[in-house]
Amino acid sequence: MKRTLLAIVLSIGMLPIYLDAQTSEVISATGLFGDLRARHIGPALMSGRINDMETHPTNPRIIYTGTAGGGVWKSNDAGTTFNPIFDDYCQSIGAIALDPNNPDNIIYVGTGETWPRNSVSIGDGLYKSKDGGANWEKLGFEKSERIANIIINPDNSNEIYVAVLGALWSDSNERGVYKTTDGGVTWEKVLFVNQKTGAADLAMDPTNPTILYASMWEFRRTAWSFESGGDFSALYKSTDAGKSWNKIHNGFPKGQLGRLAIAIAPSSPNILYTIIEAEEDLRKGLYRSNDAGENWEQLNNDFEITVRPFYFSRIVVDPRNPDVVVKAGLIGSISRDGGKTFKGLGNMHNDIHDIVFDIKDSDRIYVGTDGGVYRSWNGGTTMEIVENLPLSQFYHVSVDNAVPYNVYGGLQDNGSWYGPSSASGGIKAREWSSIGGGDGFRVLRHPTKNIIYSEMQGAKNVWRYDVDNKLIKTIQPLPVKGNPKLRFNWNTPMAISTHAPDRFYMGSQFLHKSDDMGDSWTIISPDLTTNDKSKQEQENSGGLSTDNSGAENHTTIFTIAESTLDENIIWVGTDDGNVQVTMDGGKTWTNTSADIAGLPKNTWVYHIEASVHDKATAYAVFEGHTTGDLKPYTYKTNNFGKTWTNIITDNIVGFARNIQEDYVNPNLLFLGTEFGLYITLDGGKSWSKFTKNVPSVAIHFIELHKETNDLILGTHGRGIIIIEDISPLREITPSVLKEKLHFFTSDPTVMKDQGSFGGGFFGTETQFTGSNPSTAVQIKYLLQKRHTFGKMTFEIQDMDGKIISTLGAGKSKGINIVNWSYSIKQPKVAKGKTFSAGGFTSPRVKAGKYKAVITKGKDVFEHEFEVIYDKHAGLSSKDRELKHNTTMGMYNMTQELAYLVYELDAVLDSIKDNKKLALALNSLKETLVITTGDNYVHTAEPQLRERMADLYTKIAGSYDKPSNNELDNLVIIEERFNKAKIDFAKLKKKAKVDDLILKTFDEFINE
Amino acid sequence: MKKLIKLLFVVLIVVFSTQINAQTAEEIIANYFENTGGIDKWQEAEGIKISLKANQGGMEIPWEIVQLKNGKQMTIVNLQGKAIKQDVFNGEVLWSSNFTTQKAEKGDKETTDNMKLRKNDFPDPFLNYKEHGYTIELLGEETIDGAETFKIKLTKTPITVDGIKEEDVSYYFFDAESFVPLVVHAEIKSGPMKGQVSEVKMSDYLEVEGLYLPHSITQGIKGQPGQVISVDKIELNPQIDDAEFEFPEEEVLKADSLKEIE
Repeated sequence: MKRTLLAIVLSIGMLPIYLDAQTSEVISATGLFGDLRARHIGPALMSGRINDMETHPTNPRIIYTGTAGGGVWKSNDAGTTFNPIFDDYCQSIGAIALDPNNPDNIIYVGTGETWPRNSVSIGDGLYKSKDGGANWEKLGFEKSERIANIIINPDNSNEIYVAVLGALWSDSNERGVYKTTDGGVTWEKVLFVNQKTGAADLAMDPTNPTILYASMWEFRRTAWSFESGGDFSALYKSTDAGKSWNKIHNGFPKGQLGRLAIAIAPSSPNILYTIIEAEEDLRKGLYRSNDAGENWEQLNNDFEITVRPFYFSRIVVDPRNPDVVVKAGLIGSISRDGGKTFKGLGNMHNDIHDIVFDIKDSDRIYVGTDGGVYRSWNGGTTMEIVENLPLSQFYHVSVDNAVPYNVYGGLQDNGSWYGPSSASGGIKAREWSSIGGGDGFRVLRHPTKNIIYSEMQGAKNVWRYDVDNKLIKTIQPLPVKGNPKLRFNWNTPMAISTHAPDRFYMGSQFLHKSDDMGDSWTIISPDLTTNDKSKQEQENSGGLSTDNSGAENHTTIFTIAESTLDENIIWVGTDDGNVQVTMDGGKTWTNTSADIAGLPKNTWVYHIEASVHDKATAYAVFEGHTTGDLKPYTYKTNNFGKTWTNIITDNIVGFARNIQEDYVNPNLLFLGTEFGLYITLDGGKSWSKFTKNVPSVAIHFIELHKETNDLILGTHGRGIIIIEDISPLREITPSVLKEKLHFFTSDPTVMKDQGSFGGGFFGTETQFTGSNPSTAVQIKYLLQKRHTFGKMTFEIQDMDGKIISTLGAGKSKGINIVNWSYSIKQPKVAKGKTFSAGGFTSPRVKAGKYKAVITKGKDVFEHEFEVIYDKHAGLSSKDRELKHNTTMGMYNMTQELAYLVYELDAVLDSIKDNKKLALALNSLKETLVITTGDNYVHTAEPQLRERMADLYTKIAGSYDKPSNNELDNLVIIEERFNKAKIDFAKLKKKAKVDDLILKTFDEFINE
Repeated sequence: MKKLIKLLFVVLIVVFSTQINAQTAEEIIANYFENTGGIDKWQEAEGIKISLKANQGGMEIPWEIVQLKNGKQMTIVNLQGKAIKQDVFNGEVLWSSNFTTQKAEKGDKETTDNMKLRKNDFPDPFLNYKEHGYTIELLGEETIDGAETFKIKLTKTPITVDGIKEEDVSYYFFDAESFVPLVVHAEIKSGPMKGQVSEVKMSDYLEVEGLYLPHSITQGIKGQPGQVISVDKIELNPQIDDAEFEFPEEEVLKADSLKEIE
């Protein structure tokens, strides 16, 4: 026993030494982020792609939406507003289902979008909540990638069916229809066809839960092609709760089938509808069965019914009328004659993916589109958008140097946009400006001119917008004599130069360079791709329904990075795995990725980050999910690509798309993966997931703003997310981590004088509003351990140690941020019948140095910082002095008046019986403060307190020095106050209250 | 010798750590009460008066909260020398002073009915929770604020929200070292923030007449910066006149008694 104890003691004792020795350079950031949390700025005006809509079976106020890249959102107000409930998990959602026997609590979420366009993300399994979405547990299906449906037997909550569409880019056994009879503990695969065919749709007869219909779809994507349909696509029926399945194709078209949708009319379950993708165009479309699938009849093959089956195979039947059918599609369409004829749904964003009817009223319809959720109150004729779903799917993000800086980026099917990083009253929809149509990708602001470049898919248009003169021009490179066909990626790379402001790069298979903002172009490289012809046959893409949108263009350049240290060094990455570098401005090129250890050949080069610290250094992010390889790959070179070193650690989840290097600390790196943001403080030896208000969302692009040190994330499903000022991360070293409390250095803070109107308008109550950054002084410190017991206080003191303000200290382990509004507390105001509106202003301090003093138990920690005046106000130091002295003079006067009224009330109280004197005192009081009325329209005539406080606030709240008019007004107030003091002194003398015990002025002020 | 004591201390911590892994929800709650004054001391509490202060953009707002064992409670905000009563509950009637007219107005029936269900929450909803029909469940361990915690789900009597009965659930994060609650999460049930999750953080636990109570509270929305509220003073079992909680039926809340003097 003695020995065991000794062994434990020894091992514990030795642990820190061992760790120290081994980890002298490892600085884990886990648990240190503390108050360093992100803010979301949307935008929500164009929202983002929706995959699934669900209603609550008994409460029409509750609606859920599962989104393509932005998680699960719940509405408690019949779709007026939504809140996210799934932020900690995979944000690509396939299906949501509520347990019909306990719909308030039990929710299932199947992850992985099921409309598999080229940019589709992946899921990571099935989740269950037992408490209405507050907590989630995973029920498996980790490799399912896409879950199309979840159906719970209404008679038995433990019996659940899950349709797994499965992997898109590779073979997989984890697909088909699964069943559990123990509430999700164990699962049985009850319908499986082959590794290429998944369950695309599933339906249960609402009156007989043993009857099920399943559509199986044979499908596959590669980076360069899409194939929908084959011999194995089929519609199946089971009448024995999934034990056996039979094809129900009587009346179906001959030949191969593609994606099929299935729907049961809830009010008449023998009526079924299916949408069939078939070989023969004429036989595609809507089929109906009136005998539970025994026989089928084709009813319609209009464009809206047959369009893009991989994207729109959803049919929904009105729960109360079997002849009202809504079909997803480019615009969506509705039939009121059992599917024979259709008319379009009302105007809304294109690309309709799901529709639900309200549980009580079929006039109320909710529709999920590529541009968010829409509501209809009249059966789908007019549609209105939900305004608070910030689901924007950015491919890229960039920033400018304006104050506040603007954020630019392009979105899936929602064009390109730019908007400010802060705005008066928060960043609302009206702050955003459109800067291009189609699918948007890169948007770049010219480094010195008010010109913005933007693009649409496949560089069909590259716009150059002269913002000041509102002039638009397209500048995409066109083939010239001697050029082969140019191959542009769907997501074509563009780049600007830090060396020559008018320089502009674009990539096809060649690198194109312009030195005149795109007016003329030169090709400065050979074909930098593998030029593999077998990956260039996009006209055959689509399978049974040709789908040559350009989305599958391959063997193209995907990323371009000109070194900020040397304009002759340019890095180019291609979608077929080449990392090419030139060191002579394009004369010669070297492919550096031929043999990188651990990296499969031809893995897509998603991003190259040329280091700002060393011109031989670069980071390359490779991304192989289009081959079914879901691992993250990021490598670093410090010798122009001669050798590459892996900087990925095992704890990183999700394939990586982007990396951002810090401008100051070369070891501080930010990595965006399909499931969130990771940060390293030690050059990639250890990575920590950043979860402070950053959901597990796909991060496609990261930008670091030089002036503010803000990290800007372009997410593909949750819009723009900003982590303000990451500079504290630069300072964290092993020795800092050993300190009990470490203050981070800070630049002087400007006491902002600028203001604006706006933000207070009505009509935006249900709109998403992006949060603003703080304008306060932010005092930041690192705490070794969370403070829980004993007092911990935070004071702002002047340099003489006088307390200026008392604030609440942050107590978390890691980074804490305390905001100080550079003001002292508001003056104590005389007590009256109503409030003095002017008395709620806290005056600002003078510019200069101050101290933050934290007292934690016996320890005292001090930090000096500086606040400076706002230059925009244009005030001289003399003006500032006058403003400060006048403001503080009035502040003191306000408090003196408060004390006078306090004294007066006390005297009045003590001479109650002397009616004559009381009358005189009351008369005086009525001239000092308001003694009647209310704070609204029953307001009384303002008295001395109000006039004094109003002028005080007018002067304190202005950016300007006091005007002559204000100073003249002050004279009247001073005179009146002086007279009041004399009058009161006389009355007090008359009252003979020498024995009256009063608080001193200081006691009164500080009580 | 000093070294040996230090080593033994380390061993004790190790043993202690393994113990805390095997906690049940009941044990965590029992430890919480034990470590903060003992269950008997908690049972003795009849009332509490808390004086607080918050600094909002330079504006300092002091106020007081009074809560009594019988469900009576009130909040008194002090603005420009005037004490404005808010959320006053006498066990039957909920009322607040209107800031504009400064007259007392009754709360809506649904909020009042929900308030009646809160009678059992003093001094702590976990005290005698079984008798009150509340349930608790240990959901697991979680790191929050950089501290290891036990996450406990507390389910109280269902409340009514806009006419519909809803479960009343909150999630408490108890410090794995000391067993005091550090953070509470709960879904906001009504108002413009409905559906979002509120977050309350507690720290600066100090002894007050034998009970350890938090003296710093940070309130906000989960994921966003919160407002720190510091506790200046806590008084246990304060003497409060019952009349203070009564709705002033006839008399409006006068700022002063000047009229009477006239």
